[in-house]
Amino acid sequence: MPVESRSMTRVWATAFTLLAGAFLWRYSAGAPAPAGSDGLNPHPVQLRRPAQAPLSGTAELGRQIFFDPRLSAAGTMACATCHNPDHAFGPPDGLAARFGGAKGELQGNRAVPGLRYLYLVPNFSIGPDINEAENVNLNKMATQSAGLARAQKTVGDATSAVAMVPQGGLFWDGRVNTLEEQAKGPLLNPLEMANPDIGTVATKLRKAPYAASFVQLFGAGILQNPGLLVDEAMFAVARFQVEDVSFHPYSSKYDYWLEGKARLTPAEEHGLQLFEDKDKANCAGCHLDKPGRDGAPPLFTDFQYEGLGAPRNKELSVNKDPHYYDLGLCGPMRHDIAAQTQYCGMFRTPSLRNTATRKVFFHNGVYHTLEDVLAFYDFRDVQPEKVYSKGPDGKPRKFDDTPKAYLANMDVVDPPFDRKPGQAPAMTEQDMRDIIAFLGTLTDGDQAQGTLAVH
Amino acid sequence: MKKILCAAVAIGLGAALAGCNSSSDSTPTTTPIKHLVVIYGENVSFDHYYGTYPNATNPAGEPKFTAAAGTPSVNVLTASLLNNNPNLTNVANGTGVSNPFRLDRSQAATADMNHDYTAEQQAYDGGAADLFPEFTGTAETGASGAFGTTGLVMGYYDGNTVTALWNYSQHFAMSDNAYSDQYGPSSPGAINVIAGQTNGFVVGKSSFTDYFIADGQGGKTMMGDVDPTGDTCSSTTDQGSLTGKNIGDLLNEKGISWGWFEGGFDLSLTNADGSTGCSRTHTSSVTNSLKADYIPHHQPFQYYKSTSNPTHVRPTSTQSIGQQGDAANHQYDLQDFFTAVKAGNFPSVTFLKASGFQDAHAGYSDPLDEQTFVTQVVNFLEQQPDWNNTAVLVLYDDSDGWYDHQFAKVGNGSFNATVDQVTSAGNCGTKGTTAQASGVAGKGAVDGRCGPGARQPFIVISPWAKANFVDHTQTTQASVVKFIEDNWLGGERLGGGSFDATTGSIEGMFDFTNGGKNPVLFLDTSTGLVVSKPSAGLPQ
Repeated sequence: MPVESRSMTRVWATAFTLLAGAFLWRYSAGAPAPAGSDGLNPHPVQLRRPAQAPLSGTAELGRQIFFDPRLSAAGTMACATCHNPDHAFGPPDGLAARFGGAKGELQGNRAVPGLRYLYLVPNFSIGPDINEAENVNLNKMATQSAGLARAQKTVGDATSAVAMVPQGGLFWDGRVNTLEEQAKGPLLNPLEMANPDIGTVATKLRKAPYAASFVQLFGAGILQNPGLLVDEAMFAVARFQVEDVSFHPYSSKYDYWLEGKARLTPAEEHGLQLFEDKDKANCAGCHLDKPGRDGAPPLFTDFQYEGLGAPRNKELSVNKDPHYYDLGLCGPMRHDIAAQTQYCGMFRTPSLRNTATRKVFFHNGVYHTLEDVLAFYDFRDVQPEKVYSKGPDGKPRKFDDTPKAYLANMDVVDPPFDRKPGQAPAMTEQDMRDIIAFLGTLTDGDQAQGTLAVH
Repeated sequence: MKKILCAAVAIGLGAALAGCNSSSDSTPTTTPIKHLVVIYGENVSFDHYYGTYPNATNPAGEPKFTAAAGTPSVNVLTASLLNNNPNLTNVANGTGVSNPFRLDRSQAATADMNHDYTAEQQAYDGGAADLFPEFTGTAETGASGAFGTTGLVMGYYDGNTVTALWNYSQHFAMSDNAYSDQYGPSSPGAINVIAGQTNGFVVGKSSFTDYFIADGQGGKTMMGDVDPTGDTCSSTTDQGSLTGKNIGDLLNEKGISWGWFEGGFDLSLTNADGSTGCSRTHTSSVTNSLKADYIPHHQPFQYYKSTSNPTHVRPTSTQSIGQQGDAANHQYDLQDFFTAVKAGNFPSVTFLKASGFQDAHAGYSDPLDEQTFVTQVVNFLEQQPDWNNTAVLVLYDDSDGWYDHQFAKVGNGSFNATVDQVTSAGNCGTKGTTAQASGVAGKGAVDGRCGPGARQPFIVISPWAKANFVDHTQTTQASVVKFIEDNWLGGERLGGGSFDATTGSIEGMFDFTNGGKNPVLFLDTSTGLVVSKPSAGLPQ
């Protein structure tokens, strides 16, 4: 039985129209610098970063748990193993999917996402969620929005219509809303930390050197309640990610450029222009790069889902079965909206912060260099033979990782995906190099860079 | 000239100036209270905030709470309820079986519970209060950093999180026997604090039908959430209104100044994040959740033609705020309250509703944001010359479905076959035996008002409040209506089956013979700890 604000799900018709205009306006902070300028941001802003404070007892407990390999069946895999702090809490190498399981021999199904900047990911919803609709029925929301035409996403789009599309949630398919729930996933995943059940994890926590912290924070009874104990432990890990500045430092060259404290090189500047040009790369159509009006730094994602149709990756052992398809929102790891086949093949847009530190890209880890990623965007539609393998008929097997029934879900609307075979590609080789140079400015930890402006 | 001097003092120059109190002072009252300020929060049960009062765990690094000597005993969780709770032993709760457990300060952001009219009745299970995980356990997850667990409904905070409220309780007065007038969520709770009567509901537009029932007398009773008809910010598919009278009508008849002041009501303002209109929003730094400031179904006066301001018209002037004939018809933005008081125009009766992110509602708000709001308001009021005859009430619109062990025997029955369940299927109370008030038409008993509902915190902060006092008089939200009527209106009652006629009095929390000597208490707006000088901030 619905509770508060079920009527709120309908508010979007009017209120969200107002919001969308304000929402997009909030993210405008001036045009990029013209070519030949001094590399400084002509409209510097003051970025608002989260306050730094000593870790709470809970977050400190979470830190210890995060680095504890005994929590895996093999005894050798901690959260930090795949979410490596020296690699922006992302994968430390180029493996398409990492190996886990009780003996460390089983390959995972998807590339490891980075853990930075997840604390601001909104809950999964169809359409934005400011007037919280309680007892959300996702299948109902999906059906309601099914008839709406999907607007093109281009940079600087001033449309006032709000996109009633899936957005938010964690993992590549948004199947959980909280960092606590996300942390629990790998603990029990037989391909990852491979604990057979919650009880096993609870036993390990009771024997850990930090067991006393649970009692101090949550009371004497906690150790006797395995379900609650594991939930508190995963919450502590979540709290570590929320509080510790290393998960959201906003210390990239681009952040300092936004604040007028760093100069971009000509290549980086050109890359930024292309990034924001809807007739060129149009990256900022989905990878939002403008700060909020109140100084919120850009997160380089709109949290929405796309079906890019990345090529099938032979490196994944699950793909040996030709009938296996990773369909993202509609399965197989996520189950609740399997009936919404209009979302099959769609995965969540990740943040591009620290992307230059990665050696594995897209949900299936098919690419290992940014050059290959850019080439995918550039040639997918105009020269697909450069992107996909050849079929028996000699033609490129476009969208070979999506079943025929769901090809209509592939994005052929957002530039540069709206081009046709034979058209000129959106970017030249030099363009792509410059964009990659710009992407390099999104790497955190840039305080030591020598290109800081002196005022 | 005196008015200018007085206004200058009101802006906060510290000392009270004799004779500078506002014109509300000349309105006759039966108690010394000339200014009532009701801070109406969202979604808290008594045990959820006071379950172990006055004992806090005090882990290192958290605001410390130590009870004063002589703190009276309170109806809180006993050792038996903490360690062998019926919600643990009743296996019908499935995997959610749980004792109550401490929520840490770092867990201010949690998921939200199910606070439906029916689900809450089912949780109370005829008085056993043993099926909370089964019926009111988690509805929504909360934002990315929120805490969730199957037995979350059994979680409680202590004085290391709700530090300010515990400190107010130590220095002023609280009740451990205050309830919502009926089970269910925010809208009925809001209506009950101003009218004590949710019958007389009229559908404006409807795509769902789960927020009202046929009352058995040919009319309808509101028992769930729905937006007010005609409010610019209301849902376009579901809206409703009420035909009864509310306390504003009675105050208007006597020309007494009053207002409801809610965050986000002024649609012409633009927030720091660029949001404006009905979509003014704030992001809580505790929950990291973006939420609308103005929430239409939390504003009860908008449901009545006589007291509504559907298009959010701005007040004619600062001096007209709260006055009869003002263009805004007594419905204002939160900021208008501070503006009016600073200008020496402090209404007699005030209701304050925080912007969404500070209203305490689990999921999008939290006790720490709420604490900032409450302490900023109380610190501000304590510095006004009118403090000497002011009373602040802190109470809540519903319990969110959070666990509370104390069941109130059914005082008002209801017998709808589908939605009433507390006594047995289709029964709240025993038909023929349990009292059942009439509806607004006065024709006979109506369904849909099963109550009292869940127990909730109720705190009185005033120089006339008793000190470190716990009242056990059974009261409800309508006790606020009753106090206003008794103090300003000669004991007039709304009639039409309103609970103001049958509910208890809150006057036990006051000592009107003490000369109003209970000293001010300034609290830090982040930690809730006692400070000697308050910081300057006001809620946004």
